Amino acid sequence: MSKTETLTMAAPEKPKGKARVTTLRTELVRIAGIALVIGAAIALFRSDPFVLNMMAYTFLFGALASSWNIIGGFGGQFSLGHGVFFAIGGYTTANLYFHWQISPWLSLVPAMILAMTVAVLVSWPTFRLKGPFFAIATLALNEVAFVLANYFDVLTGGARGMMLPFKAGLENMVFTSRLPYALIMFGFLIVCLIVCAFVLRSRLGYYLQAVHIDEDAARAVGIDVLKVKLTGMAVSAALTGIGGSLFAMYLRFVDPATLLSIQDIGVKFLLISLIGGVGTLYGPLAGALLIIPLEFYLRGSLSGVVPGANLLVLGALLVIFSLFMRRGVVGAAQTLWAKFRRDDHE
Amino acid sequence: MTTFLNILIVGLMLGGIYGLVSMGLNLIFGVIRIVNFAQGELVMLGMYGAYLSWFLLGLDPYVSSIIVVPGLFVIGVVIQRFVLQPLQNEPFMQIFATFGLLMLFQNLVLAITGGTGYSVRSEVSSTVINLGDINISVARLVVFITVIVVALGLNWFVMNTMPGKAIRAVTQDRRSARLMGINVERAFMLTFGAGAALAGLAGVLLAPIYTLSPQIGGNFILAAFAVVVLGGLGSVWGAFFGGFIIGLVEAFSGYYFDPALKHAIWFLIFIAVLVVRPGGLFGIAGAEEMGLREQD
Repeated sequence: MSKTETLTMAAPEKPKGKARVTTLRTELVRIAGIALVIGAAIALFRSDPFVLNMMAYTFLFGALASSWNIIGGFGGQFSLGHGVFFAIGGYTTANLYFHWQISPWLSLVPAMILAMTVAVLVSWPTFRLKGPFFAIATLALNEVAFVLANYFDVLTGGARGMMLPFKAGLENMVFTSRLPYALIMFGFLIVCLIVCAFVLRSRLGYYLQAVHIDEDAARAVGIDVLKVKLTGMAVSAALTGIGGSLFAMYLRFVDPATLLSIQDIGVKFLLISLIGGVGTLYGPLAGALLIIPLEFYLRGSLSGVVPGANLLVLGALLVIFSLFMRRGVVGAAQTLWAKFRRDDHE
Repeated sequence: MTTFLNILIVGLMLGGIYGLVSMGLNLIFGVIRIVNFAQGELVMLGMYGAYLSWFLLGLDPYVSSIIVVPGLFVIGVVIQRFVLQPLQNEPFMQIFATFGLLMLFQNLVLAITGGTGYSVRSEVSSTVINLGDINISVARLVVFITVIVVALGLNWFVMNTMPGKAIRAVTQDRRSARLMGINVERAFMLTFGAGAALAGLAGVLLAPIYTLSPQIGGNFILAAFAVVVLGGLGSVWGAFFGGFIIGLVEAFSGYYFDPALKHAIWFLIFIAVLVVRPGGLFGIAGAEEMGLREQD
């Protein structure tokens, strides 16, 4: 791929015609708009448990894909190992709640810090690798984590997993209805979007994009490449860890096969991002809004008849999008919009 | 001493399996510079091909290679032509595309078979040779011999034949190779086809050893990555020796530490080598970055 092409891929707003880089204020206003629309949608479906469940998953995975997008999309480091940070968050909260009855709200903090620390420690050496090799190494990390999670059953409950006790109450983050969960995931999504917007419009975000487009050039202009990557990874992993905690409390069950599944967790983040638009601010959310309901539908209607149908469709989508829609739904929309405006001016 | 020898034999036989599975991956990587995440699924397809020819035609799995191997070659050529060729020089999209193929193949087979585990029987598969206290399974011995033959044959092909020389030229510099009149796209299709065919061969030979499941490719792909990275990216002998290293590590750590941890141990070795010497033990230094260099 030519470097100019990478540039258009990485740049969140394609500078075509008079289009310019948006300010943080614009993005925050947009996020507020998204929050209003989603809030209205939750209010509309507040008594439908099926839709609320789907929404909770959609928001959670939209948020997680957005977190992945910080290092994977802005920074161009295609990690397949984010499941590890996800699982760390899940296990931290589950353990603290299970053994010491510590409120999950409080344990979000240690979950976040632990995920961040592990992310920095394992990424330090692996960031020496580039492109596909980084992806392979992170894939292997996920596998090591899987083996270890099965082995150290004192911490993780081993392959049988841990069932968290059902004690309804706000302080336990356990509810009888699905509505509070949808609201929590919604809140997490908005937090992630705001963090992403801040990162994208900060020095760190520009550095990450510079590293993505050309690492050597970035180093040549004086960017400390390793530090930038590690910071991006830390932010990304911290959010992913929180997501893992929320997921554990939502399922009230943690086991290695769920938390460290490559196809259902690790790859899901980048799949959603690709379909929505890698490196764009709203791409991961758009991807989640498309993929998660689609998966629910496929699982509900087809999986009984054809096992694995949902993953079959996702695999096909992955190939098709990588061939024909590299910038995802948001990228395609931006191109169309730019074209439309140019036609308008002429 | 007998225990030690037995573990050594187990390790070597396992190494043969890993080496054979990695040959195709390494060939594809070495020449086209594509990391094929779907390679394990090609092995899986080879295994199911062996099952099909046994089920439909009553062929012994070893005989069925005359159908399965060319079949996989065709699949490989099709993948290269229609999926990977348009993505040349786009390493990120290649990750997505080959991962998509992985999910596609795995779940396609799952959808067709409904997840039933099959096993293929061959006359040879249950035979065991006893040498004193040492037991060698014939099915594994066949794999062991095949990997040696394949490594020698591949090496000879690449070094001494015109198509082999063309492939090496393309590996070194696509543009100059093109100027010399080599059809780069055709060389790539041939290579990917050959890589897929090797995966098919591995699948056929492994079919009598393992119980077939759609997810079995996942067991091989990470081992194959470990082997290829350890041995050296793009070097024929790298995959050969890398396979034995991983096989021996797995056998010995499984015996002396804990069988549950054997995978964790070789993964950690793998990550360590990847980080310290990304080119691999037998690889050319800097080979790991060549995939990212711009070429046309």
